[in-house]
Amino acid sequence: MSGLKLRNVKKSFGSVHVIKGVDLDIEDKQFVVFVGPSGCGKSTLLRMIAGLEQISSGDLFIGDKRMNDVDPAQRGIAMVFQSYALYPHMTVRENMGFALRFAGAPKEEIATRVAEAARILELGALLDRKPGQLSGGQRQRVAIGRAIVRHPDVFLFDEPLSNLDAELRVHMRIEIARLHKELNTTIIYVTHDQVEAMTLADKIVVLRDGVIEQAGSPLDLYDDPDNLFVAGFIGSPKMNLLAGTAEAGGIRLADFPEQLVPSPVAVPAGTAVTVGIRPEHFDPTGSAALETTVEIIEHLGGETYAYARGAGSSLLTLATDNNRTLKTGERYQARFNPASLLVFGQDGKRLR
Amino acid sequence: MAQARLARREHITGWAFIAPALILLGLFMIYPIVWSLWMSFQVGKGMNLSFGGFANIVRLTKDPVFLRALGNTFTFFIFQVPIMIVLALLFAVALNDATLKFRGFFRTAIFLPCATSLIAYSTVFKSMFAIDGVVNQTLMALHIIGGPISWLGDPFWAKVLIIMAITWRWTGYNMIFYLAALQNIDRSIYEAARIDGVPAWARFWYITIPMLKPVILFTTVISTIGTLQLFDEVANLTAGTGGPSDSTLTLSLYIYNLTFKFMPSFGYSATVSWVIVVLVGILSFLQFLVARDRKPS
Repeated sequence: MSGLKLRNVKKSFGSVHVIKGVDLDIEDKQFVVFVGPSGCGKSTLLRMIAGLEQISSGDLFIGDKRMNDVDPAQRGIAMVFQSYALYPHMTVRENMGFALRFAGAPKEEIATRVAEAARILELGALLDRKPGQLSGGQRQRVAIGRAIVRHPDVFLFDEPLSNLDAELRVHMRIEIARLHKELNTTIIYVTHDQVEAMTLADKIVVLRDGVIEQAGSPLDLYDDPDNLFVAGFIGSPKMNLLAGTAEAGGIRLADFPEQLVPSPVAVPAGTAVTVGIRPEHFDPTGSAALETTVEIIEHLGGETYAYARGAGSSLLTLATDNNRTLKTGERYQARFNPASLLVFGQDGKRLR
Repeated sequence: MAQARLARREHITGWAFIAPALILLGLFMIYPIVWSLWMSFQVGKGMNLSFGGFANIVRLTKDPVFLRALGNTFTFFIFQVPIMIVLALLFAVALNDATLKFRGFFRTAIFLPCATSLIAYSTVFKSMFAIDGVVNQTLMALHIIGGPISWLGDPFWAKVLIIMAITWRWTGYNMIFYLAALQNIDRSIYEAARIDGVPAWARFWYITIPMLKPVILFTTVISTIGTLQLFDEVANLTAGTGGPSDSTLTLSLYIYNLTFKFMPSFGYSATVSWVIVVLVGILSFLQFLVARDRKPS
């Protein structure tokens, strides 16, 4: 049993409050991703769980034990750093076995565990090299191997893929997902890349300014965001957000004043709202429509995105059901189903 | 054709630019070095010199004062360099700790000695270590010693005093190199080690020391050269005698005495100078040999 519980956890550096009260439950064997823009406190929260930063107030439980004042080495965790943090003067084998020497493991056991980690990560051929002779992806695998050999209850990853190029990042992302299946342990993973969060997580925790904006499964967050921030942060390409005002028969969009869009939720007339619609919710069979002119077309092969605007409106991102015949400058009727709209109040909260 | 002429003109311009530096270096550095090598084969007193072949080298082996100076220099080198390097390393690691209060003050205080005037500090040391100086009085007041130590009159304590003086002066200088190197080590390496349960002593021994190895090698070579050329402290603290009874006489001081204090013996003193050059070469080579990366077989 190695779930985690955070209860009203706070962190301040002097008068600067970085984490402003976080409550979170992480179940055993769950893959949890902390995601948010830079400076949101996600790395700090991870380092507090690791024990590298003191917790200013609140409680942290790993399993059933309160861990606030426990030494990092005794928390049953292992961490993979963004910079890999490999010992540059040691070989891959020594890097992975180093911690075990101080845990009092006999030589044969160290060798067995290192060999096991090397097998899982396909590092066998590199065991006698030094980090300086490895590529970025290989170094990252060694860093993960160094974590694996300790058989921790919880793995912590601090932006592990940020230093890799795009292609390698996709590859390592799949590796990490596979690793989670194979090791079957709790993983807490920090990233600013929402694609990584969507693809890896069992549970995403979206953070902003030291507060959890929303936590839930990737599709929950995608389909049912609690607020504007989560709606705008999760999803690529981004959700279209349009200002509007509620009227008796629906919502009048500021950018398309000739249209009255039926609202999926009851909103008192006169309320200022923001309407969100995802690019793929534009659907040629939809009952409502916005009149637009296409400005830019992106052919991705499997999908064609059009960037279009109405007279004087901001640019909308539209999925076109892979309409490859579309040309720039053309008029385009962006049809959609009003039921797929998300409506947010002035304070950014979702109106349900 | 035109291009060749252009290239030639560029060559001339280039050489013209570096010529002043080259001429000065040649005149004041390379020429004296070559000349001193030539001089080391000359025998005779004053200006009355003649070529003596290896006579000076033979004289070295039979000169008790030279052997004494060589022994003293090695004593200083063997005790002082390790003590200073270890001290500098410990200070650097301690002063690199972000939680330490008054870090800036300590760093400055430890670095300052190498920037102070040599004469001023020698004078202060002389008065502090006099028979009735503050050091003896303090040690006696603390009942560590029964009677005063004759720091400058006893051959053993005179050596100790010289070692203390150089260590005091140069530890901070070496510490700065270590501090700079420590600040270049990625902090997350230490964090990873903490999470891995590596104890503090092992982080120092297995991570800090190996990662500072190039800097340690550099400071060791520099300190070795400095100690083999040791002159200032001995000349000032012992009034230029290397006393008592040559017990602190170093090779450099002996060279000075041979050239300027005794009946000038330029040839022989040049030979002694080249002994230092050879020693520095051998010791530096050995240090590089010890510090080289061993490939796992």
